[in-house]
Amino acid sequence: MQLQDKYRVAILSAYALALHGFESMLPTPIPWVRLGLANIITLVALVLYGFRTAMMVTLIRVILASIFTGTFLGPAFILSFGGGVFSTAAMGLVFISFKNLFGPVGLSLIGAFFHNIAQLTLAYFLFIQRLEAILIISPVILLIGTLTGVANGIVSDILIKNLLKKDEEKIQNVVQE
Amino acid sequence: MKEAIKNTTLADRLLLLFLIAGSIAGTFIAGKAMSQGLNVTVEIDGKPSYTFPINIDRTITVSGPYGDSVIEIKDKKVHIRETHCPNKLCVKQGWISNGAIVCLPNKIVVIVGGNGNNPPEDIDAITG
Amino acid sequence: MNRKLLAISAVLFFLVMSSCNSNKFSTYKKTKALMDTFVSITVVSDSEDKAESSIDNAFSAIEHFGDLINFFSDRSELSSININAGLKEVEVSPETLDIIEKAIYVSEKSGGAFDATVGPLIKLWNFHKKVKPSDAEIRKNLPLVNYRNIVINRDRSTVFLRKKGMLLDLGGIAKGYAADLAVEVLRKGGINSGIVAIAGDIRAFGLKPDGKPWNIGIKNPRQNNDSDEIIARIKLNDRAISTSGDYERFFLQDGKRFHHLLDPKTGYPADRCRGVSIITDKGVFADAFSTAVFVLGTGNGLKLVRETGMDAIVIDSSGIIHATDGLKGRLEIEGSH
Repeated sequence: MQLQDKYRVAILSAYALALHGFESMLPTPIPWVRLGLANIITLVALVLYGFRTAMMVTLIRVILASIFTGTFLGPAFILSFGGGVFSTAAMGLVFISFKNLFGPVGLSLIGAFFHNIAQLTLAYFLFIQRLEAILIISPVILLIGTLTGVANGIVSDILIKNLLKKDEEKIQNVVQE
Repeated sequence: MKEAIKNTTLADRLLLLFLIAGSIAGTFIAGKAMSQGLNVTVEIDGKPSYTFPINIDRTITVSGPYGDSVIEIKDKKVHIRETHCPNKLCVKQGWISNGAIVCLPNKIVVIVGGNGNNPPEDIDAITG
Repeated sequence: MNRKLLAISAVLFFLVMSSCNSNKFSTYKKTKALMDTFVSITVVSDSEDKAESSIDNAFSAIEHFGDLINFFSDRSELSSININAGLKEVEVSPETLDIIEKAIYVSEKSGGAFDATVGPLIKLWNFHKKVKPSDAEIRKNLPLVNYRNIVINRDRSTVFLRKKGMLLDLGGIAKGYAADLAVEVLRKGGINSGIVAIAGDIRAFGLKPDGKPWNIGIKNPRQNNDSDEIIARIKLNDRAISTSGDYERFFLQDGKRFHHLLDPKTGYPADRCRGVSIITDKGVFADAFSTAVFVLGTGNGLKLVRETGMDAIVIDSSGIIHATDGLKGRLEIEGSH
């Protein structure tokens, strides 16, 4: 990995961590429901810098956040880790295999969906073990995940556009000089 | 914002539509499944003694210190039909489809759903 | 570099946020059927075991007390006082003596608007069968209702009812008193904050884990659907609240509402209010004075509230909500914001 890449991963992880922390402070109307703001950073990283960077950022964010809150290797960490890795992998796979089929909004929806599927599956095997309970809450969680997924996708889209524009300006400036 | 919405691909929109339709349909299916899963639990002297599904009509007789009390389940509702305790508050409470009926002299509690009453989210207790 | 600075401040922000989040105290809640109703106890504790055992201790204190003053059980001390009315004095335990003394105190303060000897009238009104007793029956029983005919001897720890046929009914004060007992037990068990709710008689102490006071909803006396169950919300810490309402036990006959809150002077349901909530430091007084103020109505009732230094929310017979000044900033009426 080049120095430039390491620097980028560090900064993206810091942003993701900040959003993760900010989100954990927001009151949650229903336990389990989260906005998934950190996914915006994962998505931007995926589209602009590729799958490797996105996965690194996710891993660093999940692990550091759980160490800071003292939940490392605890149940909350397992859920967060499973959801993060699985959703990043799903987004990466779709992004690489079907280039240009989905935009950031579609990718964000895929990420949110697989994040929830992974967490519900983990919750079933590790904690709840009552299929009815999981089946009853699943649709609600997936619906909320879809709505927050759209919102995050739109934010990501705007971010990506702006970052690309900045790069273009930079290039233009160089050419003009 | 507007631009971002315009930027979505056809696949994005179809996926969104599919997810929303799927999860809303799922919510209804799950909701229906849950309402059928409601149970009537009868506690005698503080111990859960019987559990019946609320969607099957039946009449149960249980005995306490003041003799027999008759509990009737009908049309997804439950009431105490007869009791021999002095105040008979439990009979007066009538038919319920959620919550609970307490018949304290006879030490019988009938709970629907197993949860008792749930006050609104941000309220810690209700007076009145 | 600007970006670096932003990144560092972002991490710092996260650390600060997560450190205030790492609060080890949580709330634990248990509900049990006691004293003819539901008792819910919520406590704030750092250990589930400690919370569980102290709640269980509080439940057994309530149960023990409930057995002493149970109007319907032949074996209770209260029944023994009633059976021996006009015959002889009865020796009772300190709690029974104490609650009867407090009942007499509220009776005196309220000029008899609250009266624990209302038992014979309560027995006449059968809210289950929805029949109104005849005027003659009520008139015949009125002389039996007078708190001045309760004789207490503190040295011998005895209670005596002067007239045969008198009946003590502590239903309008016992739940508040039991809430006080439960809070005492919880405090002794090392619990510093929580809520004891015996039906609508609630005593809150300490603060929630997030440092905020407890939120209590006041029931709407004329509820139409599920969404308007609550008419007001109030924030409480270290206070008790009790509500008396005409909607708990009642029947309608000829367009008139007959409910269980009887005016001891007339023998008929008091009709000046729909609901009265009293807020004060002790549950026993919140409970008994809510009945007294309900009977007195807004004029004399609110005067009594001010004289005794309590707070009140009174919903009068036309549905208008009156609240005392002491509740400013703590009371939120639904639909007014």
